[in-house]
Amino acid sequence: MLVLRPVEITDLPQLQQLARDSLVGVTSLPDDSERLREKIAASCASFERDASAHGPENYFFVLEDMDNRRLVGCSEIVSTAGFDEPFYSLRNRHFTSASRELNIEHGVPALSLCHDLNDHTLLRGFHIDAALERTPFSELLSRARLLFIAAHSQRFAEAVITEIVGYSDADGNSPFWDALGKHFFDLPYVEAERLCGLQSRRFLAELMPQYPIYVPMLPLAAQECIGRIHPDGQEAFDILQREGFETNSYIDLFDAGPTLYARTANIRSITHSQTAQVHSQPQIDARGRYLLSNDALHGYRAIVAELDYQPGQPLALTPALCAALNVSEGSPIRLIAL
Amino acid sequence: MIVRPVKVSDLPALMTLVQQAGPGFTTLPANEDRLAHRVRWAQRAFAEQVERADADYLFVLEDDDQRVIGVSAMSGAVGLREPWYNYRVGLTVSSAPDLGIQRQIPTLFLNNELTGQSELCSLFLRHDQRTGSNGRLLSLGRLLFVAEFPHLFGERMIAELRGSADEQGCSPFWDSLGRHFFQMDFTHADHLSGLGNKSFIAELMPRQPLYTCLLTEQAQTAIGQAHPNTEPALKILQAEGFAHKGYIDIFDGGPVIEAPIRNIRTVRDSLELTLSLGTPDEQAPLWLIHNRRLENCRITVARGRRVGSSLVIDRLTAQRLQLQPGNSVRAVMLPNQQQQAVAA
Repeated sequence: MLVLRPVEITDLPQLQQLARDSLVGVTSLPDDSERLREKIAASCASFERDASAHGPENYFFVLEDMDNRRLVGCSEIVSTAGFDEPFYSLRNRHFTSASRELNIEHGVPALSLCHDLNDHTLLRGFHIDAALERTPFSELLSRARLLFIAAHSQRFAEAVITEIVGYSDADGNSPFWDALGKHFFDLPYVEAERLCGLQSRRFLAELMPQYPIYVPMLPLAAQECIGRIHPDGQEAFDILQREGFETNSYIDLFDAGPTLYARTANIRSITHSQTAQVHSQPQIDARGRYLLSNDALHGYRAIVAELDYQPGQPLALTPALCAALNVSEGSPIRLIAL
Repeated sequence: MIVRPVKVSDLPALMTLVQQAGPGFTTLPANEDRLAHRVRWAQRAFAEQVERADADYLFVLEDDDQRVIGVSAMSGAVGLREPWYNYRVGLTVSSAPDLGIQRQIPTLFLNNELTGQSELCSLFLRHDQRTGSNGRLLSLGRLLFVAEFPHLFGERMIAELRGSADEQGCSPFWDSLGRHFFQMDFTHADHLSGLGNKSFIAELMPRQPLYTCLLTEQAQTAIGQAHPNTEPALKILQAEGFAHKGYIDIFDGGPVIEAPIRNIRTVRDSLELTLSLGTPDEQAPLWLIHNRRLENCRITVARGRRVGSSLVIDRLTAQRLQLQPGNSVRAVMLPNQQQQAVAA
């Protein structure tokens, strides 16, 4: 059985392995034990903190195989993007110019450095074992975060964003980086991403171009990267798109990957999830597949299960399911059909 | 040879000249109406009937048979009616000292900083007449005129030199930059700008600072690079003290050269002298001489000897200048002449 739960300090060694396996560009998983240790500590503190409004918390979850205690995935929620340091993006908007005499008006797309996306809640750090891609467990890993937000909405902002990793080739080269970032950073793409995960992001402000970049001046290969997703990021994109997330003309500074955006109140797993009370039962019918979570904070648990759910009725769970979710008779439970 | 203001009767000859000059001659398009308009306007300038903002001093070079073989011009001021645009080549430094990273990136800033300055323009000399001192007379004659009438001009004199282009007339700077915003060929854009002024095209140019690292390599090389054909004209003006101070043309990246007017060699070193008749020999230095008139301006190059406050020239030269002995002239030796020690 795979269970999603908050990270613990004892997870560090396995987390480091996950970081090594993860996609270049998922910079929130640095392959550095000191940084990961800090990250775990910050997450644990967040789960303990009594928060009535969204602040500097980061909630880091892992997906654990209970049969062999192996971590097979992780994902994270940043309560407030840009809380400590600005959250930089490139805003892709048209600059309009017109000449009355020539009767020409046209919009030229340009990329402007900005931190418009500060203050949003940010989903990031999504990584799952290759063997589990495109299974209900990747839905679990991604969407359990949304059920958590539904359970603790005061800890989160009114809008949620995520950055999907942009295109890079098999050799780890990003045409967008080579056309733009490299001129300012003097570093290869992979190295820049690595630094981003380790350093304070202030260096981004020091190095990134401050003036807008006119898109037509970039080589075609770089232009084609704008909003383009890395193949390995497609699933993360698809899951959230089904949740109602949309692209919004903001892209990643380094690889031009798209930002997805949704108002918290409109996210499908948040609006359509339902709550019920647990009723423990030795056996249950498997009528449908559901994502289930308890509504706890630092005892948060989420799983995938085959259930027989009738709205308005208590939800029958086997003792094994109750144990996995750390709930008992009468506990509240949140669920949504897969 | 004399340099004098253009007249309406010069129009046919002018048309022949500009046709010879070809499509690159943007300020004098081979269009009868445009030429006629320009000539009329220049006449008003020489008659002191216009403001500096509108003044266009169009000169012709005429031989002793009254054939017009060259043109040159100056405007009293640029940018005081329609805005005048250039890019200035500046620098952006992208630096994170803690990471040991520093990048220096030349950056182009669109600006109107040359507004109000005076401009040398419209220079063309028939190919077969590019001999002797004709080129210097045609080009520097204008500056001697400025020396005489500085109140008609600004603080600085500028000159835009044509930028790099290949044999087909393609400009690498245009192809890397302007083309993306106009979707037209350089020659067409150039032609449009010659019809009137650049301002309505400048409305379409990107206004944000531009990082040159985003231009192609050839475009980056073209920045501030004058077309080889401009070399003779460039050399003459460099000897006068003109230099490139970082401003370039927004279309082809060609350099703007400039000088404070009071520091221009011809302006600074010209002298008011009294005309005297004589027979200067072949060793006598060449002088650029102006009859000090405005509407009836006549400028020539001739051998002369300075004697005290007099300039001794021959009869033919005096006739070309339409002057008598005892009249006042403004004169300066052409550069690289031997200074003649003269007993007063």
